[in-house]
Amino acid sequence: MDMEKIKPYLPWITLITLVLLVGIANPSFFNPAGMVGLVADIVPLFIMALGMTFAIYIGGIDLSVQQMANLVTVVATVFLAPLGMGVAVVCIVVGFGFGALSGYITTRLFVPSFVSTLAMGFVALSGAKYLSGERALSMDATLRDESFGWMFATTAGIPNELIIAGLLLFLAWFLQRRTTFGRALKAVGSGELAAVASGLNVDRIKILAFAISGMFAAIAGLMFSVKLSGGDANLANGFLLLAIVAVLVGGTPLTGGVGGVINTLIGTLIVVVIRSAMVYLEIDATQQQMVFGVVLIAAIALTIDRSKLRGIVK
Amino acid sequence: MADVTADPAQSKRLFPRERIIQWAPLLVLFVLLLLFPFFEWLEDFREAKDHIYLLDSRFFSIRNAARIAMSSAPALMVAVGVTFIIIMGSIDLSMEGTVSVCAVIFAFAFIAWGGTILSWAWLAIPVAMLVGAAMGFVNGIVHVKLKIPSFMASLAMGFVGTGLALLLTGGDRIRVEDPIFRSLLTERWFNFPVMCYVALAFLLIAWFIQSRTTLGRNFYAVGGGEELAHASGLNVERVRIMGFTLAGVFFAVGALLAVGRIGIAETATGNNFMFVSITAVVVGGTALWGGIGGVWNTLVGVLIVNVINNGMVVIGLPGWVQDGTLGLLVIAAVVMSTDRQSVSFVK
Repeated sequence: MDMEKIKPYLPWITLITLVLLVGIANPSFFNPAGMVGLVADIVPLFIMALGMTFAIYIGGIDLSVQQMANLVTVVATVFLAPLGMGVAVVCIVVGFGFGALSGYITTRLFVPSFVSTLAMGFVALSGAKYLSGERALSMDATLRDESFGWMFATTAGIPNELIIAGLLLFLAWFLQRRTTFGRALKAVGSGELAAVASGLNVDRIKILAFAISGMFAAIAGLMFSVKLSGGDANLANGFLLLAIVAVLVGGTPLTGGVGGVINTLIGTLIVVVIRSAMVYLEIDATQQQMVFGVVLIAAIALTIDRSKLRGIVK
Repeated sequence: MADVTADPAQSKRLFPRERIIQWAPLLVLFVLLLLFPFFEWLEDFREAKDHIYLLDSRFFSIRNAARIAMSSAPALMVAVGVTFIIIMGSIDLSMEGTVSVCAVIFAFAFIAWGGTILSWAWLAIPVAMLVGAAMGFVNGIVHVKLKIPSFMASLAMGFVGTGLALLLTGGDRIRVEDPIFRSLLTERWFNFPVMCYVALAFLLIAWFIQSRTTLGRNFYAVGGGEELAHASGLNVERVRIMGFTLAGVFFAVGALLAVGRIGIAETATGNNFMFVSITAVVVGGTALWGGIGGVWNTLVGVLIVNVINNGMVVIGLPGWVQDGTLGLLVIAAVVMSTDRQSVSFVK
């Protein structure tokens, strides 16, 4: 069997194998209620990874997602009182704006995305510290329930969180697969110079991709903040690694062009399963970061398209 | 003078990009050194207090210079390490993990082997440097042999390092209280703590490596044009791996100084080193594309970053301003050092 032929199915195979292994070791894993709980728990991470997929799909990276979410937890907490549900709009606009700015800096000012997004992340951190006064803030419980209580209700037995995640996944999938913008993303990811030569406005597409990444990070931050009923400049720390792992393990390579949001769904599920396996094996939280770091390296090594690196890996 | 249409070729010769990149950071540093005292003077002037510019400045004093030098020393070591990598056109984002692991292993070994430099515990220092080298080596192997872009390979290795440090400590802080080791901070020569001189000594070693050894020249060769370097018979992969290993050693020195400064080794010892050191290198004028810059640029860059951080506190700006300023500074520095004619696109 040719390795290149198996590659697209590798994430599926990994997921199914892991689920079976964990299930055999711990049959209670297959308990539906527990499974739904596990998955609902990871919705903010999934949304963040969905956004990150766009940045990686065009061959870039967004290292600002974690700080972006931090900033939004603070924005959501501070402005919940005056704006109510309208705060969601503010959060989304902030995320979109910050992402677009990162994209602008990357494409028009020629700052590599890992530096521009890292730097913009610190600008976001600055904003979060300013708005929060460097304290942990908490939301007013009644206000929160009035505006966002519906997020944690269930519709026909399915938690609304999962429905939101599903809708966002559909939106991202639609953007990627059913619009010209999505086709343009693929063109840019597959070969930027060719995309330029065929007359695409590559800069605009790239800026939009980063903006979408920022926007999804903001939505993730908003959900996280509602979930924990508060905001803090460090609340979402630890999300960055898992978000990158989810995208790359799902099979969207660092070089971009293939994979996509459905892959990220699989990747996130793999992360969930690995996590619950570690809980079962009593690998405590302190060691999980190490495991995910190694998983990340393995995932990149397996998925990256080396023919695109033209022999030079910087 | 009246000739408005100046010859572009000549103006190019007067201020070529390389020369601007070379000297702009030093200029920025001087401006900053004069700017913060100016704000102090301005404040006292408004309140009609006696204040002689520079002489009465709290910022522009030996005591504050020592404070800046002290906070710069560990960051300088880490930044010097990553300078070699950036000269090669790669990047290393693993420093937070590496620094934490080196600090923690140093502290454990130091305490286990006697707890004072006068016993066998001094061996903990070379052990920490070896650990740094080993982590850098693994980083280099992952990057070169698995052909993973360095920013991602090193970022992942950094996460592994932080996890490892957490695993080793279980979240505890380890105190290193040996007075002789702590004399890095407490003993002062000419107003400056010993750790500043240690950092200076390692800076000189780094400069020697950069300018007087084949390895140092090879870094520039790889950064200046990898294909050319490869075609002229250089084992590029080996140079890269050695670069990452060397960087690991300097990260370990940074870790030792960081532990010397606060007397505590913990998982958080490495926090913030990544952004500060990358900022310092880039702001100092070492181009991200490789081939340009060096350890003296990094010294200037580290000083700029720490002068900004310190000066902002002295003139009473709130803490949140710093992160944002550094973020914008990095972007500005990369934009300035980029030759837009030669870059078609970036990822």
